This record gives sequence, structure tokens and C-alpha cells, in this order.
Amino acid sequence: MDLSRRRFLQAAVLTAATAGLTAACGGSEPGGSKDSKTLKLWYWAGGMSDKVVADAKKQFSDTTLKTSVIGGDFKTKLLTGLKTAQTAPDITGIKGEDIASFLPNANRFLDLNELGMDKLAPEYLSWKLKQATTQDGKLIGFPIDIGPCAVYYREDLFAKAGLPTDPAKVSSELSTWDAFFEAGVELHKAVPKSFLVNNIGAVFSMAVGQGTKRFIDEDNTFIGDQDHIRAAWTTAVKPYTLGIDAKINDNTWNAAIGNGTVATGLGAAWYALDIQNAAPGTKGKWRVASLPSGPSNLGGSFLCLPSTCANPEKAFEIVSWMLNAENQARGFTDAALFPTTPAAYELPALTGGDAFFGGQKTIEIFGPAAEKIPAAYEAPADAAVSAAYFNELTAIEAKGKDPEDAWKDAVSQAKQIAKRQGVK
Amino acid sequence: MSSSPVAGPAPTGPSSGPATGSAGQPAPDRPRGPGRPGRRIRPVSSRARHRPRRGIARYWPQFLAVSPYYLIFSVFMLFPMLYTVYLAFQKWDGIGEMEFVGLQQFRFLWDDPVFWLSLRNTLVIWVLSTVPMLFLALVMAVLINSTRRFTAFYRVALFIPSITSLVAIAIFFGAIFSNNFGLINAILQSLNLSAVPWLSNEWTIKLVIAALMTWQWTGYNAIIYLAGLQAIPSELYEAAKMDGAGPVRIFFGITIPLLRPIILFTVVISTVTGLQSFTEPQVLFGSDASTNPNSGGPGQAGLTTLLYFYHQAFDNNDFGYAAAIVWAFFLLILLIVIINWRLVQRKERRP
Repeated sequence: MDLSRRRFLQAAVLTAATAGLTAACGGSEPGGSKDSKTLKLWYWAGGMSDKVVADAKKQFSDTTLKTSVIGGDFKTKLLTGLKTAQTAPDITGIKGEDIASFLPNANRFLDLNELGMDKLAPEYLSWKLKQATTQDGKLIGFPIDIGPCAVYYREDLFAKAGLPTDPAKVSSELSTWDAFFEAGVELHKAVPKSFLVNNIGAVFSMAVGQGTKRFIDEDNTFIGDQDHIRAAWTTAVKPYTLGIDAKINDNTWNAAIGNGTVATGLGAAWYALDIQNAAPGTKGKWRVASLPSGPSNLGGSFLCLPSTCANPEKAFEIVSWMLNAENQARGFTDAALFPTTPAAYELPALTGGDAFFGGQKTIEIFGPAAEKIPAAYEAPADAAVSAAYFNELTAIEAKGKDPEDAWKDAVSQAKQIAKRQGVK
Repeated sequence: MSSSPVAGPAPTGPSSGPATGSAGQPAPDRPRGPGRPGRRIRPVSSRARHRPRRGIARYWPQFLAVSPYYLIFSVFMLFPMLYTVYLAFQKWDGIGEMEFVGLQQFRFLWDDPVFWLSLRNTLVIWVLSTVPMLFLALVMAVLINSTRRFTAFYRVALFIPSITSLVAIAIFFGAIFSNNFGLINAILQSLNLSAVPWLSNEWTIKLVIAALMTWQWTGYNAIIYLAGLQAIPSELYEAAKMDGAGPVRIFFGITIPLLRPIILFTVVISTVTGLQSFTEPQVLFGSDASTNPNSGGPGQAGLTTLLYFYHQAFDNNDFGYAAAIVWAFFLLILLIVIINWRLVQRKERRP
């Protein structure tokens, strides 16, 4: 067949018209979706167990649960979506690192306590609920998961260096940062190509999380120049001065974790999945021990109900079903989401041994840690302010910047960011 | 009255001469026809009658045909641009109340060392990429212009990088230049040279980003130069050869001067696009790190101004400050474009 210009144009017009019609039909549907029978759920890939979400659709068959797995920058898309009631989801995930920045606009979300969360609260970790609670007591997020932190270590490398290898022994003997770093020096001496930590930012983030105060206090005053942050900084710089820092700040972490360049990883419960993906060949060589100097948390998300939610009671019912102990245990199996309700820690999904960790029952480390994580006030501007410290720690590693100069620059930059964010 | 038509497309004026004879003659007058009738005497009323017909009413199909671009431009470009002017005087977190703060954001900007660092980074990366890029492009274009075989293949090969996904290229470059396990360091080590920490040293970070941009855009510019080269009449080259000029003399005496408008175009375009580097550092230095996203890599050496803007707007939700950053940056780009323009223009007038 000959493709004449006329025929081509005809085909193009037809295609465009069909596409336009389809879009118009598709577009009209959400317009009418503010009925109470249709609820839109937004989360990101891996943010929920897909199997639990699929079951929720069956469980609540009287309601149509329309799920969207949002890719890219989730927070930005949510901010845009919340602008109008038509585009806003009825249930949405919010990441742990973003939840604080949504608290000043808590009026955009429903208070879950009014929907019955106050009765369920004792079953969930109180420090996690605090992260999603405004200062006047409004709770905007139902906790999906937490990130209790631990030391992941290479048992074989520890053995080579004559260090303790049994998780219980590692936890008790390397119970302080100093003891942990000392072990790192010995390890580096015995296995010269291995370093203790991959970068010092990781240590800093753990050390800050072990305290009850962060960079800004409840009165919205900057406290990032005080002793508790200074102490965390000093701890973080130690592995660098001791020469046991691998200084990895790029995508080579994957390779480093596989070939033994880093002998330990400081990370949350979900870090296990990262290690397994990056270094499947090291299966059975890793173990998990308690974090030196006390537990810390990294990440862990929430489900929130925007105030435009079409059917708050139903939405809350669905959320609390998806996040009950039993389903949270499934979330742990499917998506490495560590449960926010201690009741789940007793369930078989968590109490079983993990072959990647030589059959170790990792819940024995994470369970007690999860319940002992200190409740710290995280201000809306906390993440923005903390960036200055991480940048300067990387500058020490990259440029050999003097740690004392780096501290001064970090504090002065953090103060500026705080000022821009309206912190006193 | 001569037969020179004043209204371009339709010569409707009263013709005194024979139509056949005047066919070739009006041509030189045509370009300055409508604008300046000059000494020619024409009735005023006739011009007044012609003008409105040349406006929207007469050319409405043409205006209609180009309107989609301008509609899309005004909705998705012009309006957001004007809106950022408004935003630069507000404090706004994206969903809450806006608060008018006057010039405070610009005062913050002036005091912010990270902003100035990002400007330095951007300028260094721009110079490191644009200068070798345009030079290489010119050399390549001259080489291809002189080949006779496989020309289509060369042109396609040159153009492919510019239509390749930037994210894919950035990931690829990240793997090649990786500090511990990259291809380049593996080669260096096999030659018994010491490995270079490409992605942690503050200068090599900029070099890697500049190399990426050079790789991507050299071919595109070469194609533009090639088009310019082919417009230069070959008689000029022949005449120069007859007079005994060597290839270098020909290059600087004929090729460069006649390519000047094209060079000006590429310089301006590369300035505008080269200063807007964003995706390269964003992809190279882990945008998904939850503790410190979009920081521009070790020592913030890859933090370009646009990446800093993105970080303020979408990580810190400080939209007012982000708007102030882009407007300050816009003024800088404008300044550099004007300087470039003046420099290249002046050279054009000299001969």
C-alpha cells in the first residue's frame, strides 16, 4: 500500500481522536471518584507488601481500592497531588525521612486518633507514633515499618582477625563505639584490604539517632552546635583518623560489600536486603549484632489519610487491617518491612532463622532494639539542617579537610539553613 | 512608477513597463521593499490599505499553525517562569500558607557559601566542557567535510550521543570512572599506574562531568558546523589554493571567518545548555540516598547551581529560596550570553 500524505494525515487524525476520547473517558472517572466507594491508595515500589495490598482489595470487596505505585520522587508528586481534592489520594504513604516536614501542615491530614487509633496505639511502638504526632497531639500517620539499626559483620573476616564471631559475644564485647573501632583496627591489621566502615556519615547518622535530642528542639531552637551533636561528630570522625574508614561515597558500595573491602555495615533492618542484592555470593558469611552504644533507627514509613479522603472510616479500617500484626509479618517476608507492632515479633515469619546470616535468628537482635529506640523530637527542618553535617563529613573523606574546620563549617552552614527554614 | 512591487507576495502595483523585461530586475529591491519605500512615491492610502491585511487577519492559518507551540510555551514555561518571580519574594513549603518576606531570600542567597560554591562548580564544569567540545566539533566537522566515503555513517554516528538518554550515559560514566572497580582505573592499574579516585576528588569529579557533556554534545555541534561548512562556496577554496595558501592558512583565513555566525550560534546555545547541567551530577552522585539526597557528591564538588536549586525546592521544600536561586542564576546566564555575543560579534566586524 502506498502511504500518501492524505492517508497519513487521516490516520494521524484518527489516532489522535481515539487517544483524546480514551483520555477524556479515563479522565472523567477520577472526577467522579469522590464517592465513598472508591478509595485511591498511593505508595512507592517496596513501600507496602503487594500481596497484602492485593488481599485488602478482596477483603474489602464493598469498596474499590485503586492502588498506584508511584515512581520517582514520591514526596514531590504527593505535594502536587494534594493541591486539589480531585487529584489527592485517599490513603497515601509518607516516607520516614519526610514525615516531619509534613507536620506543620497537619491540617491537610486527618487525625487518626479521632478515627480510633487512640485505642490501637498501645499495640504499636510509642516512639514511632511520636514521629507522626504534632506538638498538640494530632496523629497523622499509621506506622508501616521501622528501621531498627544493627551492625552487620562478616563472620569470616572477624575470625581471621581473632575477633569474637558469635553474635551474642560480638554484641557484648563490642558494646561501645570505642571497643568497636578498636576491633576495626585489629581487623585492618590482620586483613589489610578490609576496612571497618564504608563511610563516616553512616556512623554519624547512627550516633545522632542514639540520643533523645537531634538538631532542633521542641521550642524550634537550633541545638546542632551543642554537646550531643558534637559527641556524635567526634565518634564519627574516629574511624577516619584510625584509618579504618573505606571512604566509599559512590556507587562502588555494591562491589565493596561483595569483595570484603568493608567488613561491617551499619544499617537498619532493611539493609539486609541491600546486602543480599549487592553480594549474593557472600551468603552465610554475614551475622548481625547489636549496635555499639545502644539502638538507633533509620527510616520507616507511614500511611496517612489526606483531609480530602472520601470515606475516612473505611479508609482507616483498611489501613489498620493492612497494618495489623499478622499482615505486618507478611510485609516483613515480602518486602523486608520491619513491623511496628511488637506482637508481630513473636510470629514465625520473624522468628525463623535466616540462611543468608548462617541461620541466625536476627529478630533476637532487632526485636529488643526496636523496643528500646529512644524517642527523639524530629523538627520539620531536621533533615534539611542535618545535610550540612553529612556534606562536611564527606568533605573530610574526599578532600582530607581538617575535621575541626569541617565542624565549624558544618555548624555555620547548618545555622544558615535553620534560619532560612524559620528556626530560631 | 517602476514595476517594483512593494507588497511582497502579490505584485499588484500599476506596471508601466513590459512584464517580460522586468522579471529579473525587481529582485534586488525586494528585501527592503515593505519596510522602506524610500524615495518612491506612493499614495499613503494604498499603504494603509495594505497593512492590516498583512496582520493576523490575513495570515490566520499560519498563526493557527504555530499557535500550539506558543500555547504550550505559555502554560508550561512562561507562566511558571513568571510565577517563580512571585515565589522568590515568598516563604513557602509547597502546601502551607505563603508568607511575603520581601528581599529576604536574596539576602540569604548573598550570605550562602553553598550557593557561591555551586556557581563556581557550574562555571568550572561549563568551561571544562564547552571549550574542548566546540574545538573538537569544529575539527571533526572539517575532517568529515573532506571525506568522500561513508559520510552518512559518520553523520549518524556523530548524532547518536545527543539523542541517547542522559541518565543511561551518566550511569555508564559512573561505572567507567568508578573509584575502586571502574574500567579506567583497571586499565591504569594494569599499566602499573596508580588508580585515580575519579569520583571523590573535587577536580576529577568536575572533569568526569565535563567529559560526559563533551561526549554527548560534540557530535551535535559538529553536525551544525558541517552544515555551515557546506554553505561556503568551493570557489573561495579554489581561489585560495591558486594563490598558494596552505590548509592551515585556508582554515583560519576562510573557514573560520565564514563560519562565524554558526560559531556564534553554537557558543550561545552551549552557554545556555552547558550552564544548566543538572542530571549529570544528580545521577552520578546517588540521588536516592535518604540521609543526604542531591548533595552533589563528595565535598559537594559536583553541586551545580540547578542541582542546588532542586535540592532546596524538592528536598528541603524551600520553594521561595529555590526561586531566588534560579533568578539569580538566570541573570548570570544572561550576562555570560551577552559577553559571548559581544566578543564573537566584534570579531565579525573586524575584517
